[in-house]
Amino acid sequence: MRGFCKVLLAAALFVASTGLAQARDQVKIVGSSTVFPFSSFVAEELGATGKFKTPVVESTGSGGGHKLFGAGMGENTPDIANSSRRMKRSEFERAEQNGVTDISEALIGFDGIVIAQNKDDAPLKLTLEQLALATIAEVPKDGKLVPNPYTSWDQISPDLPKRPIVIYGPPTSSGTRDAFEELVIEKVAHKLGSYEKGYKKVRQDSAYVPAGENDNLIVQKLAKDKNAVGIFGYSFLEENQDTIQAATIDGVTPSLDTIAQGTYPISRSLYFYVKNAHYDKIPGLKEYVELFMSERMIGDKGALKRIGLVPLPADVREKARQKVLNRVKLTKDELQ
Amino acid sequence: MTLPTDPALHARRKAKERRFKTMSYAAILVAGVFLVFFFADILRQGLPALKQAEILVPIHFTQDILEYPESSLPPEYVPLVSRGVVRLFPNELHATPKLLGSTQERWVLATADVDQFLKGKPNRLKAKERRTAERLQSEGRLRLAWNIGFFTNGDSKLPEMAGVFAAAVGSVYVLLVTLAFSFPIGVMAAVYLEEFAPDNRLMQIIEVNINNLAAIPSILFGLLGLAIFIQFFGIPRSSSMVGGLTLGLMTLPVIIIATRAAIRAIPSAIREGAMALGATRWQVVWDHILPLALPGILTGTIIGLARAIGETAPLILVGMVAFIPQPAASFLEATSVLPAQIYTWASDSQRAFVERTAAGIVVLLVILLSMNALAIFLRTKYERKW
Amino acid sequence: MTQPLTIVLFLGLIPLAAFGYRLGRGKRLAQSATPSPFAGSAGIFGWYAVLGAAKPALAINLAALGLYLAGILSIPMPVVAASTVVAAMVGLFLALRAIQPHFRAREAIEKTIQRMLFVASLISILTTIGIVASVIFEAIHFFRLVSLWEFITGTQWNPDDALRPDGTVDSSLFGAVPLFAGTLLITCIAMSVAIPVGLFSAICMSEYASPLIRRIAKPTLEILAGIPTVVYGFFAAITVSPLVVETAGRLGLQADSTNALSPGLVMGIMIIPLVSSLADDVISAVPQNLREGSLALGAFPSETIKRVVLPAALPGIVSACLLAVSRAVGETMIVVMAAGLQPVLSANPLRGMTTVNVRIVDAFTGDQAFDSPETLSTFGLGLALLVITLGLNIISLTVIRKFRQRYE
Repeated sequence: MRGFCKVLLAAALFVASTGLAQARDQVKIVGSSTVFPFSSFVAEELGATGKFKTPVVESTGSGGGHKLFGAGMGENTPDIANSSRRMKRSEFERAEQNGVTDISEALIGFDGIVIAQNKDDAPLKLTLEQLALATIAEVPKDGKLVPNPYTSWDQISPDLPKRPIVIYGPPTSSGTRDAFEELVIEKVAHKLGSYEKGYKKVRQDSAYVPAGENDNLIVQKLAKDKNAVGIFGYSFLEENQDTIQAATIDGVTPSLDTIAQGTYPISRSLYFYVKNAHYDKIPGLKEYVELFMSERMIGDKGALKRIGLVPLPADVREKARQKVLNRVKLTKDELQ
Repeated sequence: MTLPTDPALHARRKAKERRFKTMSYAAILVAGVFLVFFFADILRQGLPALKQAEILVPIHFTQDILEYPESSLPPEYVPLVSRGVVRLFPNELHATPKLLGSTQERWVLATADVDQFLKGKPNRLKAKERRTAERLQSEGRLRLAWNIGFFTNGDSKLPEMAGVFAAAVGSVYVLLVTLAFSFPIGVMAAVYLEEFAPDNRLMQIIEVNINNLAAIPSILFGLLGLAIFIQFFGIPRSSSMVGGLTLGLMTLPVIIIATRAAIRAIPSAIREGAMALGATRWQVVWDHILPLALPGILTGTIIGLARAIGETAPLILVGMVAFIPQPAASFLEATSVLPAQIYTWASDSQRAFVERTAAGIVVLLVILLSMNALAIFLRTKYERKW
Repeated sequence: MTQPLTIVLFLGLIPLAAFGYRLGRGKRLAQSATPSPFAGSAGIFGWYAVLGAAKPALAINLAALGLYLAGILSIPMPVVAASTVVAAMVGLFLALRAIQPHFRAREAIEKTIQRMLFVASLISILTTIGIVASVIFEAIHFFRLVSLWEFITGTQWNPDDALRPDGTVDSSLFGAVPLFAGTLLITCIAMSVAIPVGLFSAICMSEYASPLIRRIAKPTLEILAGIPTVVYGFFAAITVSPLVVETAGRLGLQADSTNALSPGLVMGIMIIPLVSSLADDVISAVPQNLREGSLALGAFPSETIKRVVLPAALPGIVSACLLAVSRAVGETMIVVMAAGLQPVLSANPLRGMTTVNVRIVDAFTGDQAFDSPETLSTFGLGLALLVITLGLNIISLTVIRKFRQRYE
């Protein structure tokens, strides 16, 4: 018993002694689950090639990230918040109240979603509304919402091909799905009117098959099944252009240019926010931000493109880079 | 009851009896069959991760690789070689400048897609890359080697680089904190309740409360940890301190209940004998009760700890499910733990992570089962029947 | 703040304590003329001196911490450290003065030890209070925004859209019924696996099985209980779910990959050992003479079990089942990994549906704003979860106590 207690005491002392907290020597990042893969990729790159500890990246969601980020200054708060949308004015005001006044904004790229089909199919020319009607859970009929009755594309509009609707799309857990719901279904439902505000339900019958996003399975299905249509991130289309082709949306073909210019409708910008005052305190923060904004990462041939980030146009990229590297302070008036 | 002389009735009853007996055996069989199926399935999925594709490449060390590390490899090799290898070339050149201008042949890590291709699983290789891989394989420049990195690396975004080491270290840290917190307090509380407590209202409340605490969903302990340890005491998020304390609170009732049972099993003759010799109550506890109850206490503690290090839900809420590839150096540094690592891999979209997840599960199960085996061993070896 | 604390601990108090021990022991040894036989050995006096120094030091630190955390007063660390050391020295001095030839140090120490033990046993109560408090304040905040009635009875869960542009909250979109229905359905599926299998294994082990089978079966079931839930979750999502979808497809049915059936089945397997061990206990507790009486009247074992043993053990079995339900309701990882996120109200186990626990985890990891009603809603859900599991547990404990009393 005595010996055992001594061991235990030693363990407790060990716990207490390593509790000796020195200054944090590791960058802390929180925020969006969509930016998470890119952010942790850069973090790993920094840790593997530099002299710094690998930053800790936590996926808390954009809102959760801004909450932690704006909770105050100092070692116990994150240095960077990733965000799949722009910071909200309310979030900025809250941060300001808590003493987080000197923030820089970094625009890192786009998240684009494409609709694709077999290379040999006749080109599919959709409008955003038609796409929404093919995927939405319910459609308005005689002033009421009824379960989506469309089973064939030509039922939605006569100029569409006479093909059954079979869509392989992202599962609910994916960021692509969130973006799709927001940018397609919610937008159209809002325009059509007869839906409640913020309606964004995707149909759950056999016409929409949830399938993993970064997955060869969708491409294999599309290669085999000429009726099938797939929904996935833009980078994946580019990797597989020998087997699949993209549908045009409102007459725009998805490409790096159209996504970057915003003419292609199903895309959104990705950001991160950094506390400028932390640069002096946290080793590696400066290097992390520099690495993230470098051509090697977000450039046209950058490593992040391979895992799904659509690069910004060169001039925008340069501007965004200068903005964050020169620590340009974000002001309230820029935000909504 | 009908008289047992009716042969038809007797036969019917006998058949019923047989059916009932068969069903009860079948129930045990169901559990056993599931267990076999479960382990077979996890092993089938996880064992391939023990092997890992490697590729023999010529590396040209030129000045260019400082800016574009990929230029060190022949172009057709580039998509097949893991980025985790290529990105280190500039560092290597910095460290040993005399490599400049030389060419080295070396077995290096291939990408996860090549790995999956060699294992005959779905992969994202393009047709051209697949042809290259096939050619290299026939030339003997592509092989499956033992995957040591899985046990020595931390987490990675590149499946071929990902390993369980950092998470395992984190689990040990969390285990230590949990042990240091819950064992003394649990044993002290149990000793008080069994040996010193007066029989009053407060003690009854504590009794009921401990039983309730054991049944509270683990996720609520996460909410508690978030509110008390992070928001109130300001312990850093994701640290093993916060995770360990949260799990410690969860393990406390398990240890209290086990200790009480172990103490209660000691016959009162021991206490009375010691007291008759003039020992004080604390001397009785310290010199007699605790040493005799120790095997039982340890068994309960180990089982409680095994449950704690397999727990994930409360850790999600205190921020331990994050990308943390390096083992923590202190109890206040962010760390990952094995179950959290399994959870993040399981939710990753890259298919190559599936076998990693299963292999991580195998590691976790080996640890947990050996802890349980140790508990059972202690119980059988040291348990005394009075 | 941990750094100065550690310095105080290692450079100030621990040497002081060691010093105090030597002083106390030394003083005792010097007095060794005629010690009282009940006073204890010299070392005890050393410990008494140490405790004398530690108590005021600890008290000062706790008071400072309490004031700091309550936000009343933030005393600078050096002041705390200095006063801690001074208090420890004063305490040590007083303790040393108390050491007289007839002083009973052991009694004094044991009183302190008993007090420490008492405090340790209070921690479990504090934990419960902490859990309730950490849930209830935010939950009250939430129920100020959303009416409790709509939360309990509403059938639409769509917090994303509940925040109106003018800042008010649309209560009707916080109907938790779909979430509880999902939890209920998955729990029912789990119970339909766990209760029959668990009960029959308990019957088999306590009534039929030979010692050998018992020796094999018991650890087997214990292994099932020792598998972490995240592993079950992976198994449910990666292996069982595709199997269910495929089987359903063969039968001409359409199943979602996040269907409720797979987590339910796997959770049922997970809970088997809980049911079987609790049921085994109560069945074994049924007095042997009841069985013998029945068998002596010519009843088969199965008839004895069905008509005598099980009715006698019924309260215990009911209590075991309630505990199992409570466990299923509170289980998180399996549903997080294998069930979906769609709050649909449906009785079809092949559809994807969500549960209370999934929503709690999702709100903490998802992309919603943190101070939004959705995040607050998790505390409402957590409160409901707490009430349900505590209720089930208390009922179960009461029932089993009644049962125990009957045969004791």
